[in-house]
Amino acid sequence: MKILAIDTACDETSAAVTENTTILSNIIWSQASLHAKWGGILPSLAQREHLKRIDWVVKKALDTSHQSLTSDIDAIAVTVGPCLAIAGEVGIAKAKELAKKYDKPLVAVNHIEGHVLSPLAQPRTENPKFEIRNSKLTIRFPALGLVISGGHTDLILIKEIGQYKLLAQTRDDALGEALDKAARMLGLGYPGGAILEKMAQHGNPNSYPLPIPMSGREKEGYFSYSGLKTAMWKIVEAEKKKGKELLTKKQIENLAASFQNTAFEHLTRVISSIIHNSSFVIHDLLVGGGVSNNIEIRKRLRKMAKQFGIKVCLPYTKKLCSDNAAMIDVAAYFKSKEGKFVKNIAKVERLPRSKIGETFPWEI
Amino acid sequence: MKIIKENKQSVDQIVNVLKDGGLVIFLSGVCYNAGIDATNPTAVKKLVKYKNRPFGKPFSIGVKNLPMAKEYAEMNKTAINLYKSFYPGPLTIVCQGRHKVAPGIESELGTLGIFVTDHQLTTDIVSRLGKPVTTTSANASYQPRPFSLENLFKNLSKKQMALIDLAVDSGKVPEREASTVIDTALEDLAILRQGKVKLKNKNEILSRSEDNTQNLGKELWQKYENYLGKRPLIFALEGPMGAGKTQFTKGLGRAMGISDEIISPTFNLVLEYKSVKSDVELNHIDAWRLQNPEELEGLGLIKMLEEKKMVIAIEWAERVTEAIRKHRDEATIIWVKIAYGKKDNERLISWGVL
Repeated sequence: MKILAIDTACDETSAAVTENTTILSNIIWSQASLHAKWGGILPSLAQREHLKRIDWVVKKALDTSHQSLTSDIDAIAVTVGPCLAIAGEVGIAKAKELAKKYDKPLVAVNHIEGHVLSPLAQPRTENPKFEIRNSKLTIRFPALGLVISGGHTDLILIKEIGQYKLLAQTRDDALGEALDKAARMLGLGYPGGAILEKMAQHGNPNSYPLPIPMSGREKEGYFSYSGLKTAMWKIVEAEKKKGKELLTKKQIENLAASFQNTAFEHLTRVISSIIHNSSFVIHDLLVGGGVSNNIEIRKRLRKMAKQFGIKVCLPYTKKLCSDNAAMIDVAAYFKSKEGKFVKNIAKVERLPRSKIGETFPWEI
Repeated sequence: MKIIKENKQSVDQIVNVLKDGGLVIFLSGVCYNAGIDATNPTAVKKLVKYKNRPFGKPFSIGVKNLPMAKEYAEMNKTAINLYKSFYPGPLTIVCQGRHKVAPGIESELGTLGIFVTDHQLTTDIVSRLGKPVTTTSANASYQPRPFSLENLFKNLSKKQMALIDLAVDSGKVPEREASTVIDTALEDLAILRQGKVKLKNKNEILSRSEDNTQNLGKELWQKYENYLGKRPLIFALEGPMGAGKTQFTKGLGRAMGISDEIISPTFNLVLEYKSVKSDVELNHIDAWRLQNPEELEGLGLIKMLEEKKMVIAIEWAERVTEAIRKHRDEATIIWVKIAYGKKDNERLISWGVL
């Protein structure tokens, strides 16, 4: 089954081709890469940017994979939500157009399901390093899915692929957003989550007393980062005053380490509490989303999971962590196996608040 | 192409080639670097061709010291602080450029990357040339960064080789991480700040908790609910990081009958909600990431304003004051200011109809 997938959920314009779960191409066009590596610049007019790039990205995905839309591709897949409405529209319109023009079945995919299943994507070339990891990659259900990104902090119960239940989400800021904002407070630009991680490596995580969010109330099953953000803001302002409005490199490193430490501690505490109190035996934890690139969070999730005898499964490459179309392909592959195609293409529209596991009206 | 070994005379040779608009490969602070005179437009075109990447993708520049950096870029406080605390680098600081370099060096938005290094050869070249040079790794786009000339040439095409005028061999150097890139250009909230809103007939309360702030959202909904239906309703929320703008919207949304969890819209820019109790809708917008006020309309504001049963909550409203104010005829605008109080949990909240 060869599927061409399109994802324009937010900032990135992406298209990919996979054969079952094997990636043949995964093209991501982000505003950040246009403005060199300095990921600070975000899409001005997301929709206009997506419109400008979508054709190029789709063509590149087909060319790189050496597949022809007419003769090789079996189906087209597209993210329908959750998304920034005006951005999502662009991908949906393109997918509908291609499905009609080339008479291919269409699969509508929830973006979060893509992130959850991203650890199942496999590389095209036989990468020996991956084989070792992949040999263990038979997911046993029920499993947990964790999506940590700039827009989401979702813990999901995966009864089996296609059957999900949201167990916990953030009640205010997403984890990635909190990290980006902390970086901004430290003068590391925006989005600075990745630089924050770099700074934190040299800092002492216990140098500033930041409160762990919802401490003692983990059972409530929520993530919350806005209180921590406020506490951080106060400490940064106080530290700035000490040094005539300027922070030293050491201060930045220590603050970065302290913030990460507290933010991650909260995450693992809530997940632990949920696993501990759940009535199922969880076998695996699938992790996706941009923040799962962070080495420290990987370490901590593995450590936490070990206590419960749970295996942590991460995407084989960093590219699969942030928004990309290959993960949409993987989700679409599993949906296509179940026959969950779009019955009426005209009915497909963006669902900005789409929830994982929901049945789309056009699939009935 | 000429290849020379690095020695005392090489700086002169390099500078001569750069002056003629040539492309020189030399070791910079991190790896082998493709250098040109960053003020020479013809040389920039050559470099773009060499790097095999679309025109418009910016290049960072090497300078000899902070005063020289200030000459080419508007270094704000954060940028200066970063320069000082991270010196000798390697670090790339992105600032607002002064447009003194050739086209193609700065980004489309006019930002410029300053490469901070104390690497002797680089600073010597810049000092002698009296102008900044580009500091971009000598590999073509999507190729590995080179740590020796041999390793570089292996991955170059004949076309690319032909574009090099001079290569300076400093031997094989240990692999190093790419320099950290920090964008400070967004730091100046002032760019977007469009004049303060003065509230007439101001109402004010002291909130002592998140619950208090949420509750105010509910109360303001009840107070202004009947304005809706004739015209949409905008809640423009102003206040610093962590003040409670999202908390306010939570209370507002709950009172409107929205059952979904209302979360921060910073990443998504806009989050849409529908009431389960009635036909009212909420669009929750965050202006924090916007770079110019017109982008508010790019997010679909005009369309939203056509809906009479629409409530629009806009966080960081002070960044887009005029873009909101100009819709005074189409919508009822309630401006809400949240400020930190004396005690930790206290917030001073004032509001009024614009």
